[in-house]
Amino acid sequence: MTQKELHNQRLLREAEQAVMRMHTRRHFLKESAMGLGALALGSFLGGCGRKEGPISNIVFDPAHPLLPKLPPFPGKAKSVIYLHMAGAPSQLELFDYKPELMKMDGQDCPPSLLEGKRFAFIRGVPKMMGPQVKFSKHGQSGAWISENMPHLATIADELCFLKAVTTDQFNHAPAQLLVHTGSPRMGRPSLGSWVTYGLGTENQNLPGFVVLTSGGKNPDAGKSVWGSGFLPSVYQGVQCRSEGDPVLFMKDPDGMDRDLRKASIEAINKVNQEEYTAYNDPEILSRISQYEMAYKMQISAPEVMNINEEPAYIHEMYGTKPGQACFANNVLLARRLVEKGVRFVQLFDWGWDSHGSEESLAIDFGFINKCRKVDKCITALILDLKQRGLLDETLVVWGGEFGRTPMQENREGKKMPFKGRDHHTEAFTIWMAGAGIKKGFSYGETDEIGYSAISGKVEPFDIQATILNQLGFDHEKFTYQFQGRPFRLTDTRGRVIDEILA
Amino acid sequence: MLARKKLLLVLLVMVTAIFVLQCTMNHQPVDFTTQVKPILNKNCITCHGGVRQKGGFSLLFRDEALAKTKSGKFAIIPGDPDHSEMIRRIALQDPEDRMPYKHDPLNQKDIDILRRWIKEGAQWGEHWAYVPVKNVPVPASKIIAKQGDAKSGWGKNEIDNFIGEKWKEQDLQPSSPANKHTLLRRVALDIIGMPAPAGLAKNFLEDSSDHAYADLVDSLLSSPHYGEKWATMWLDLARYADTKGYERDDSRNIWRYRDWLIRAFNNDIPYDQFLTEQIAGDLLPNATDDDFIATAFHRNTMTNDEGGTDNEEFRTSAVLDRVNTTWQAVMGTTFGCVQCHSHPYDPFRHEDYYKFMAFFNDTRDEDTFDDYPLLRHYNDTLQQQLSAVVTWISQNVSEQKSREVYTFLKTWQPSYNSLTCDSFTNSELSDTKWLAFRNHALCRLKNVDLQDKDQLIFRYAADTSGGIWQIHLDHPTGAVIATIPLPGAKGWTITQTKILPGNGIHDLYFTYTNNNLKRPEDNGAEFDWFYFTQELPGKDKAGYAGIKKEYWKLATTIVPTTPVMMDNPAAMHRSTYVFERGNWLVKGDKVIPDVPHSLNPFPAKAPRNRLGLAMWLTSKENPLTARTIVNRVWEQLFGTGLAETLEDLGSQGIPPTHPELLDWLSYRFMNEDNWSIKKLIRFIVTSATYQQDSKITPELLQKDPYNKYYARGARVRLSAEQIRDQALCISGTFCDSMYGPGVYPWQPKGIWLSPWNGATWQPSKGGQQYRRALYTYWKRSAGYPSMITFDGVSREVCTARRIRTNTPLQALTTLNDSVYIDMARHFASRMQKEAGSDIKQEIKQGFEWATIHAIDDKSLQSLTELYNTALNQFKKDAGKTGKMLGTANNGTAAETAALTVVANAILNLDEVVTKN
Repeated sequence: MTQKELHNQRLLREAEQAVMRMHTRRHFLKESAMGLGALALGSFLGGCGRKEGPISNIVFDPAHPLLPKLPPFPGKAKSVIYLHMAGAPSQLELFDYKPELMKMDGQDCPPSLLEGKRFAFIRGVPKMMGPQVKFSKHGQSGAWISENMPHLATIADELCFLKAVTTDQFNHAPAQLLVHTGSPRMGRPSLGSWVTYGLGTENQNLPGFVVLTSGGKNPDAGKSVWGSGFLPSVYQGVQCRSEGDPVLFMKDPDGMDRDLRKASIEAINKVNQEEYTAYNDPEILSRISQYEMAYKMQISAPEVMNINEEPAYIHEMYGTKPGQACFANNVLLARRLVEKGVRFVQLFDWGWDSHGSEESLAIDFGFINKCRKVDKCITALILDLKQRGLLDETLVVWGGEFGRTPMQENREGKKMPFKGRDHHTEAFTIWMAGAGIKKGFSYGETDEIGYSAISGKVEPFDIQATILNQLGFDHEKFTYQFQGRPFRLTDTRGRVIDEILA
Repeated sequence: MLARKKLLLVLLVMVTAIFVLQCTMNHQPVDFTTQVKPILNKNCITCHGGVRQKGGFSLLFRDEALAKTKSGKFAIIPGDPDHSEMIRRIALQDPEDRMPYKHDPLNQKDIDILRRWIKEGAQWGEHWAYVPVKNVPVPASKIIAKQGDAKSGWGKNEIDNFIGEKWKEQDLQPSSPANKHTLLRRVALDIIGMPAPAGLAKNFLEDSSDHAYADLVDSLLSSPHYGEKWATMWLDLARYADTKGYERDDSRNIWRYRDWLIRAFNNDIPYDQFLTEQIAGDLLPNATDDDFIATAFHRNTMTNDEGGTDNEEFRTSAVLDRVNTTWQAVMGTTFGCVQCHSHPYDPFRHEDYYKFMAFFNDTRDEDTFDDYPLLRHYNDTLQQQLSAVVTWISQNVSEQKSREVYTFLKTWQPSYNSLTCDSFTNSELSDTKWLAFRNHALCRLKNVDLQDKDQLIFRYAADTSGGIWQIHLDHPTGAVIATIPLPGAKGWTITQTKILPGNGIHDLYFTYTNNNLKRPEDNGAEFDWFYFTQELPGKDKAGYAGIKKEYWKLATTIVPTTPVMMDNPAAMHRSTYVFERGNWLVKGDKVIPDVPHSLNPFPAKAPRNRLGLAMWLTSKENPLTARTIVNRVWEQLFGTGLAETLEDLGSQGIPPTHPELLDWLSYRFMNEDNWSIKKLIRFIVTSATYQQDSKITPELLQKDPYNKYYARGARVRLSAEQIRDQALCISGTFCDSMYGPGVYPWQPKGIWLSPWNGATWQPSKGGQQYRRALYTYWKRSAGYPSMITFDGVSREVCTARRIRTNTPLQALTTLNDSVYIDMARHFASRMQKEAGSDIKQEIKQGFEWATIHAIDDKSLQSLTELYNTALNQFKKDAGKTGKMLGTANNGTAAETAALTVVANAILNLDEVVTKN
C-alpha cells in the first residue's frame, strides 16, 4: 500500500471512530448526565455579527472537552500549520517586486505618502529605499520571488500569494494579536483555540493545538497569541519544545521508570474507583480516564517530538539540527504532529523586525540570514507534505503581522546605522498552500512602489474567515457566548477569500 | 386495562393543565420580562435593538419603541394592537413583508402574547437584576426531614427555607449532613483555602458540643489565612499581575495592593468601604497611604512599553479597561458592548459608556514607562523627616502649601510627563517614551499652568555635558523664562532651577544647544517629567535652611513605589468625548461624568468624580453591587453561583436558580450585616444546605445532575491555588510568612522569553519557595505554568469566572512537576517521621493528612502494593533511589524513595484535588 492509501485508510478509520465516539458520547451524556454537563454555549442571537438567526451548536463538555467533533460542513483542511515570522518580514525583499521603487531609491519620500499617516518610528521626511535584493520570475505561474528565498522559488507553483494584505495595527504585539485572535487587545481566544474548541482533537494522546517557538524569544504578544481568551483554558495552545522536556511536565521524575509510573497511575485509579463507589460522581470517572490519557500521552508526545528517528534524507531536506531549538526542527516537528492527527500547529520564529537599528536587524544583512534559516525547511515542508499525500488536507499559512515601509527607517528623525524599514500597515504579503487553496496563484496588488494595496485587498479577518472555511466553519456562525453576547473570531468583519479557493 | 387507565389519567392531567393555563392566561396580565422580552430578544432585537434600528424602530427602550418609525407608522400603539404596525407585520402571509424579515414566522402563541401585551398597554418590565434589591419574605415552611429525623426538622437558617421551597417543586429531599471529617476539610478549604491547622482540626473533631462547628467557622474566619484565600478571588477581578503586560511585559511593583487586599479581607472592612477605597481612595478626605494603595486596583491595567506605540492610545485603552472592569467586577454586567454601540439587549445607551468613562478619564496616568503617578514609600526615618517638613510648612506658611508639598514629596505630582511634548525639531520621544534633545533642538510642551510659579523641578539624564536648555513663552522665539545649563548626568537625576515668575496657562517652547555634541544624530539630554512650582516658601522663618535641605533629600531619594490613581488638577483637566463606533480617534460629542439612567439615580449630593461614583455603586439602591458579590461568594462556596454567569447578570446571562434567595441574602448583606463579607460567609456555611453530604445517589443524578437545587453538598475540583496550598500543607513544607514582593517557586526553564526583556526566573530559596500560591510572581505573558494548567487566568483583563476543566495535562502537572515531586519527598519523610516505622501505618497517616479521613482497606491495599512494587525496584537499583530522592544515595533510603512514590500518588488522588 502506498503512503497515500495508508493515509486515506487512516482518515476513514478516524472519521468512523469520531462519529462513533460522538454517538456514544451523546448517548452517554443523555443517560448519565456526566460531569458538569454539556453546556450549549454557542448561542442563538446575532449580536454584532452580520448574519442573523441561529448559529453555532458546539457543545462544550467540561469533562471531555477535547473529544473530536465534526465541523458544520465538510472542510478541505484537516489541520493547519501556521508559520508566523514574528517581527514582520519585508514583503519588498521577498515577494512584492517593485522596480519603480528602485528608481526612487534615496529620494525624499513624497509628502502625499506621509500626510495624516502614523508610523511607529519614522519621523519627519524619510528617504525612499529600493528593493535590496534581486528578483526573478519562477514556475509556470511566473511568481516574482527574490533571491532571498531560492528554495521556495522552486515550488512557486504550489503557493498562493495574498499580496494586498492590510492591517490597522502598527505595533507588534497588537498586530500579532489581531492576526491570531481577531482583536488587537489581549483577552480573545486565538485561531488555534477556536479550532480546537470547534473540532476537538483527533489524537487524544497528543494536545490538539501545539505551539513551537524559535528565534530565542517568544512572539511580542507573548502567550496571548496562542491563549484561549474567554474559551476554557483547555483550548489554549500547548507549547512544545524541541529541546528539553517536549511538553512541560511530560517526563516522569528521575528515578521513576515507566513500569513504576504505570503502577502508580493504576494505584491512583484504583483508589479513585473506590471513591467513585462511595460518591457516585461521574466526574471521578472522568478523572480516571484523564490519568490513563496522561500515561498514553507520555509515550506519544516524546515519540512524535523525537526527530532523530527521521531518515537522513529528511534531515538533509529540512536542514534540521536535532537537539537544538531552531526553526527547521520545528518545521519538521510540525509535519510529524500533523501526521499524528494534531489539529493546529502554530510556529513562531522571532527576529524579523528589520529596522536597521543593528546589524542583525538590517534588511541587507540580518534579514538575509533569517531568510536562509527558513527558506530550505519551509520548502521541504511543502514537498514533504505533498509526497505523503498530506498537502491536500493540510493548510499551510506563512506570514508576519504587518509589512514594511517602502521608505528607509529614520528613527527619531535620524539616519540609522543600517538599512532598515519601519512597520507598515497598508500592504504586506501572506502566502497559503494546500487544502483546497489555488496553486501557483497570486491575489491582490499593491501600487507601483508597494506602499498601498490597490486591488484584492484583504485583512487578517479575511484570512481567518478563509482558514475557518477550509476547516468546515462559517466564520459568522461559529460563536461563543461571553459577557452577554456571542463572540466570534472575526468579530464583526471577515470575508472568505473565494478568489483563492480551488 | 392498566394501559388504558394510564392514558385516561394522562388525558385528565392534560385537560386540567390546559384549563389551569387558560384561567391564568385570561386573568393574569402578560409579564414583560418572562413572556415578552424572550420573544423580542429571540426574534426582533438583532435588527431593532441597540446595534441596529432598522426602519427607525428599536425595541430596547419604551420611548423609542413607541415613537413614529421611518415609514411614518407607529409600530406599537399601547392599548391598540389592531393598529400597531408591528402586529400587522408579524401576522402577514407574504414573506417579503412579514416580520421577522426572511425568517420563519412567529408562532400563534407568541403573536397572541405580543397582542395582549400591547392591548394591556405595552408596559416595559424591568430585568430582575436592574430592580433594587427588595426584602423578600422567607418561605415559611421548614423542610420535613428524612425519616427518623422528623423531630428536629432540617433547616438551620433561612437559606434552607428558600432552598427547601424549590425542592417541593422538584420532589427532592435533603441529603444527610456530611460527617465531621468531610465538613472540616470542606469548610477549611472554603474559608482559608487550605486544610485547617492541626490544633484547630483536633479541637473540632473532639468537640461534641452543639456549637463545635460554629466555633470552627469562627476560628477559620479569624485566621490570617482567610484574607489570603479571599484576596485570591479578588485578584482575578482586579487583573492583578506583577508585570505591565504587552510586548515587553516588564516588572511592576504593585504587590502592596495585593497585601492591602489581604488585610482588607482579614479586617472585614465593610464591602461598600472596600469598594470605595479601591475606586476612589485617593479622593477621600485626608487619604492615607493605604487609601492610595487601594486605588492600585485600577492601576493594574496594562502599560505598553513597546517602542513606537502611541502613548495616548494605550492610556485610553487603560481607561476603557477601568470602565469595563468596574462593571464586570463590581456590577456583574457586560459594559464592553456599549463601547461601540448601544447595548444590544440591556438598557444601556452608547453615550452612557462615555459618560461613565468620564469618571475615569481625568487621571494623571499617561502610559509612562514608570507607571506614574506613583506613591512613594519612605522608611521610618524619612517618614519622620517628611512629617517634620510638612508640619513646619503648615505652621510657618500655610496648610494649603503644606498639603501641596506633601503631595509632591509623596508622588512627584502634579508634573507634566515629557511624553506629552510635541512639535519636534532635532528632538523626539526616545523609544516613544522620553523627550530627547539633539543639538539645536526645539519642541513644545502645551498648556502649562504657570500661575504663581517661579521654580521648575525636573528629572533628566544627559550623556554629554555642556547643554543649554532655554524655555520660551508661547512661541519658539518667545520671551525666555529660563536658561538652564544641563551638566552631564548619568542616569536619571532630579534637579531644580529658577524660572521667571509667571501667570496663567501657556504653551512652552524648549530649545537646546550643545556644542559638545559631535554628530547631528547624538542625543544630548533626555527628560522624564517637569514640575512647575514655587520656591519653598518661609525663607524668613526659623529653621528654613534645614527644612529646605530635608525637603530636597525627600524629593530626590530613591524609594520603593506603588502605582496609584490620582486626578488631574483643574489646569490639567482632560475632557471626555464619545468615541464614534468605539474608535478612539473619532471623537464625537463632549460628555460629563454620569451613570446610566436606567439604574439608580446618582446620589444627590455626590461629587461628579470617582468618589461620587463609589457612592453610587455602594448605594443600597444600586441593584447590582450587592447581588454581584453575594452571587460570587456563593460561587466560591458551592462551585456555581445562584446565577451561574457571574460575569453577566443582564438579560443574556443565565437567570438565577433561586432569585428570591439571592435577593434576600443581598438585602440582609447590606441592611443587617452592614456589608460584612465574613458575616455573609458565616451565614452561608452554617446553613444546613451547605453542610449536606456530597454523595450522589442515582436518583439525585437523574433529577438534578448539576446540583442546581442543592439537595446535596457541592463537589468541585479545587482551584489552582488551593491545589498548591493544600499540597504544601500535606507535605509539611508550607511556609506561613505573609505579604511582600512576589516569590519564585521552581518553574521549568524557558518559560520567560519576552522580547527586549532580559529578566529571568530565579527560584526563591530558604523556604520562600514554599509560600502560598497567591504570592507567586505573576507575569502576564507567561503565567506560572502549573497554575495556568489548572485554569488559572493570565490576568490581562478582569476575569469574572474561571471555567473548570479536567485534562491530562493537569494529571501530568501534579504527577511530574518538580515542585510536586519535591513536595512528595517531604511528604514521605513526614510520614516516616511522624507515623512510626510500620509502612501501613505511614500510608494510613499520609492518606488521612491528605483527605482528613481514614483510609478504606481496599485503597490501603492498593497503595501498599504500589509501595512494595516501588521498594522492590529501588532495592535493586541504588542509582534510581538517589534520583527519586534527589540526593546522593546513602544506600538505606529505598524505603523513603518508595514512600515518595506513594506520596506522589496520594497528592494525585481525585479526592485530594476535589472538595467533597
